Amino acid sequence: MTAFWFIRSRRLRWLIGGIILVGTVLVFVLPMAVAVLWSLVDPEVGWFPPDVVPSRLSLANWRALLAVPEMSQAFAASFLIATLVTGLCMLLGLPSAYAIARRPLRHRRAIELLVLTPLMMPSVVLATGLGSIFIRLGLSQTIVGVVLAQTIVVLPFMIRIVTATLTGVPQDLIDAARNLGATPLVMTRRVLMPLIVPGLFAGALLAFIGSLEEFILTFVVGMPKIQTLPMLLWAYLGGRSSIQTYAAVVSLALLAPTLIVLFIAERVLKQEHLAAGFGKA
Amino acid sequence: MTATVLSPRLSHRLRLRRRADRWINLLLLMPGCGFLLLAMMLPICQLALASFGLFGIGAVGQFTIQNYAEISQNLLFTSAFRFSLQIAAVTTLISVAVATLFTAVLQIDFPGRRLVGALYKVPLVVPSLIAAFLVLTMIGPGGMAARVLQPFGVRWPSFLHDPSGFGIILVLLWHNIPITILIVSAVAAAVPRDVIEAARTLGANPWRVFRRIMVPLCAPGIAAAALLVFIDAFGTYAIPSLIGPAFPRAISVMMTSEFLLHANWGTASALGVVMIVTTALILVLYHLLVDRGAARPDS
Repeated sequence: MTAFWFIRSRRLRWLIGGIILVGTVLVFVLPMAVAVLWSLVDPEVGWFPPDVVPSRLSLANWRALLAVPEMSQAFAASFLIATLVTGLCMLLGLPSAYAIARRPLRHRRAIELLVLTPLMMPSVVLATGLGSIFIRLGLSQTIVGVVLAQTIVVLPFMIRIVTATLTGVPQDLIDAARNLGATPLVMTRRVLMPLIVPGLFAGALLAFIGSLEEFILTFVVGMPKIQTLPMLLWAYLGGRSSIQTYAAVVSLALLAPTLIVLFIAERVLKQEHLAAGFGKA
Repeated sequence: MTATVLSPRLSHRLRLRRRADRWINLLLLMPGCGFLLLAMMLPICQLALASFGLFGIGAVGQFTIQNYAEISQNLLFTSAFRFSLQIAAVTTLISVAVATLFTAVLQIDFPGRRLVGALYKVPLVVPSLIAAFLVLTMIGPGGMAARVLQPFGVRWPSFLHDPSGFGIILVLLWHNIPITILIVSAVAAAVPRDVIEAARTLGANPWRVFRRIMVPLCAPGIAAAALLVFIDAFGTYAIPSLIGPAFPRAISVMMTSEFLLHANWGTASALGVVMIVTTALILVLYHLLVDRGAARPDS
């Protein structure tokens, strides 16, 4: 976006820029720095109010991430579930995305709306309905149940991103490949697939993150047997007992993959795909 | 001769082809969209039935409106509904106002503009639980603001469990304002330069250009962002369950505690139905205001 509001005075321009930058850093970046400080607090000394910086730093809380059984287990469970959800989303999402993007459909608008509904419905309501169904089916407190529940809210992102990518493939290339004698299978493998790999990759990454971060469905369906990182974070933030330092470590452990993925995704994806993907957190 | 003989055969083949196409579509849509359809319909039906005392866990199995009578009369539930609506409305209004102003500021050519444009996107990737933690480290009890102000003798108000719900709103704002800015500034970027330049040449100052041209042209984007923020704030669970007051509680918190603590699926389902209906009404309102409103000037 290009600016249309020019200010003549150089000093005023720098003043405005400075104020806005400081404000943005204070509101959006400083909390991250404070979270890092909290994760480095030495548990033997603590960090008590008038101090703006902890008096002694240590890595004890980070070691606890692996040493405390509930944390290492939650870590493993989170990543296992995220992998399964990503795989399932690929499997379920690809054919539908292909149909929506490239085939003549009679009820396209209704189908697109259907894909959007899980994003419009409050997850906590979905969790309540699903929770009681899963109890009856014996899926409650199982990995399968949690994976299925998370897939519902993650799949729409996958379908939307892959649909957007597939729509962007020029029909000429497909026609040319078919004209030159490629069978549909060869065409898919040699022409279509290479063209949509970036979109697939981005969709998979978003599905992975979406699953890692999902809280309420996992909470209702999985509790208390299945514990993921967000559930632990909830517990440490006061849901069970407040442990600020552990909350900081779990928060950062959850944020790190997200930030890395955002960095990759910004290179691979167009802005609007990203916006579509992050429509609901 | 060929034409008259071939055309029925051709049309027959075309019909077969079309039928096959329809089957292929169905087959392709089945795993993804079929799954979503099932995954949306079943819980909604379950909630609707259980709210009337049918097919619920521990329900009598007889049609009853007892659950609805309960939630419409008990002050705990009515205040929860009002509290959630209030939080959603305030969050939406402030988000939209701040995001629109921020978009105006981003139109100023100041040094560091691109950096600011990147930094405000940080909360987009932060899940709401972590957002609650981050905001609390700044404004909560023992947070940065309290620490910095303590030597000056200023007592920082505690935003933890305050009955006004202001702490919840602050976390929701931190989380939702960047999303709103992203949407509004994306729409703003699509406003044709010619229109802006014409207004400037005709003597409108930048603020006037923003108010009279940018804001009206961005209105559909602003409305869509407002819709997203409202739905998110109305249904949020993690934030009010952690930092909300004991009374009134958010409707989502009331609902989960009904079935998690009291195993009362009937009342929880009725609350769920109320939440779905409210969300649906908001969507219909949006459709009436925006989609219809946008369609009229064109036709």
